Amino acid sequence: MSIEIRNVNKTFNSFKALDNINLKINTGELVALLGPSGSGKTTLLRIIAGLEYSDEGSIIFDGEDNTEKSTQDRKVGFVFQHYALFKHMTVFENIAFGLKVRPSKLRPSKEAINEKVNELLSLVKMKELARRYPAQLSGGQRQRIALARALAVEPRVLLLDEPFGALDAKVRKDLRRWLRKLHDEHPITSVFVTHDQEEALDVADKIVILNQGKIEQIGSPEEVYDNPINPFVYNFLGNVNLFHGRVHNGKVEIGTLRLDVPKNVGTHNKNIISYIRPHDIEISLEAVGEDFIEAEVIFIRAVGPIVNLELKRSDSGGYVEAEISREVYRTLSLQEKQKVYFRPRDFKVFIPEDYSI
Amino acid sequence: MKLTDKPLKIKQQSVIPGFGITMGFSLLYLSLMVFIPVSMVFFNSSKMGWKQFWDIVSSERVLASLKVSFTTSFLAAAVNVVFGVLFAWVLVRYSFPGRKIIDGLIDLPFALPTAVAGISLTTLYAENGWIGKLLVPLGIKVSYTPLGIIIALIFISFPFVVRTVQPVLESMDIEVEEAAICLGASRFQTFYKIIIPTLLPAIITGFALAFARSLGEYGSVVFISGNMPMFTEITPLLISTKLEQYDYAGATAIAAVMMVISFTMLLFINIIQWWAGDRDKPN
Repeated sequence: MSIEIRNVNKTFNSFKALDNINLKINTGELVALLGPSGSGKTTLLRIIAGLEYSDEGSIIFDGEDNTEKSTQDRKVGFVFQHYALFKHMTVFENIAFGLKVRPSKLRPSKEAINEKVNELLSLVKMKELARRYPAQLSGGQRQRIALARALAVEPRVLLLDEPFGALDAKVRKDLRRWLRKLHDEHPITSVFVTHDQEEALDVADKIVILNQGKIEQIGSPEEVYDNPINPFVYNFLGNVNLFHGRVHNGKVEIGTLRLDVPKNVGTHNKNIISYIRPHDIEISLEAVGEDFIEAEVIFIRAVGPIVNLELKRSDSGGYVEAEISREVYRTLSLQEKQKVYFRPRDFKVFIPEDYSI
Repeated sequence: MKLTDKPLKIKQQSVIPGFGITMGFSLLYLSLMVFIPVSMVFFNSSKMGWKQFWDIVSSERVLASLKVSFTTSFLAAAVNVVFGVLFAWVLVRYSFPGRKIIDGLIDLPFALPTAVAGISLTTLYAENGWIGKLLVPLGIKVSYTPLGIIIALIFISFPFVVRTVQPVLESMDIEVEEAAICLGASRFQTFYKIIIPTLLPAIITGFALAFARSLGEYGSVVFISGNMPMFTEITPLLISTKLEQYDYAGATAIAAVMMVISFTMLLFINIIQWWAGDRDKPN
């Protein structure tokens, strides 16, 4: 089922939580609402579920206006960050709850409910724990039960509010892979809220980046990562080095660097901010031409396949983070306090007046 | 001789120090304040013969008073469960002007001398009292009937259920209710399938406290009940009547019976409590 959000506004007291949100989510998509805390992502999710009402605007499910409908009638599955399981019920009863509360005409028979619950228990791989109470389960198991419970009522949309936020790193990674796989097998329209960019990039078909109640960018993980529309998105989607510079005579000048001006920036004399991701920095032992900046290696962290370097620019004294592969690190045989030269392989230029971070 | 033999150990290893002294003091205190006084009842009544004991406790007047005491206390506690939960709900879930004041007023029945409560309730509910006057045309008599006893007991045991349920309701996660709503449960289904079971252990505790308090209540009841043997005479009053007649053996015999019944009922309530509380514990 598709979801359309039209001109949604929401204000809490004087705080503008959502500012004119327009968003279309297609049938079967897995969409991440990504943003820092206070960006309005959870509020938007709750408005879609009907747990919160918008001041203005409409929520449309499959062309049908659901703005005035109660949560019960919207048929959404909602998964909470802290699971919100019913503590006094067993795992089995938790999953069966949504089917058991249906009015008698729509309620499946006892056998049908049993069958459905068992099917879901095997889907979440927790069949042997059916008789346990939530307090006897681990966090990851609880969240899987919460998901099974939400799926039991065959919702038209699945909404997940920071579903992995309360779990430890390893479980979180496993569960999000599992969610991705589940979605591939049962493509139900899903929206999940997260503040973890890695999680959003890893799981979602489409990422919606929110900041201060506004949508900053919508796109596939590749699109938003490779072509961030503004400094906020660039910053939010991963580590970044920030350089102040100028556009002058058709060249971007950053310290001693002279780089070709990208298409989106005019050639007028302007101060610019350039963003370079740590893995887009190339390190060389010798300066070749003028498009290298001299720096000193301050710190090396060589754990894992990627070696992290901290460099100190000789011209401005600013610090730069770089990531190089282990092979490159070995070839260069870098040492701390060594002089090196670096240049960006890829970079983005923004004109600071347009944006503030 | 086996080398692995270890002396019997009651104390379990714990990082928290002071097990010996705290446990010892607790037992001493409990003995002085509760066990010894209570066992005196059994000790005194054991001085009489089994036959005499049985004659006293199986007399019609004693049986009638036990029936009055347990029924009225049970009904009062039951009424307090319903309205106590309602009060706790209103105080926790809604904010309205004067909420803090009402919250403070709830404890008033504890602070008031029970005799004062008894006298004012009797005046109100007597046939010429403010409320009693209105009830007479309806054929309802409150003062000097078991209904009067129930009202007095409701009054003095009112705070228990409110005060036990309130904190649980306050700490209840609103997300759990939202989850139920998302799954299609109506407000009513959410209330009796989610909220009530969560509150149940607290409700049972409140009920047990209110019930126990009502059983022992004497001060307020004597004024409103009229103390008619076989009709509105409660067991605590019968005990004190016997004492006034210097029938110490008779008084302790009745007290012993009442204590056994009360203990059995409280134990039963506690078993329900353990059963209800068990599922929240990880194992």
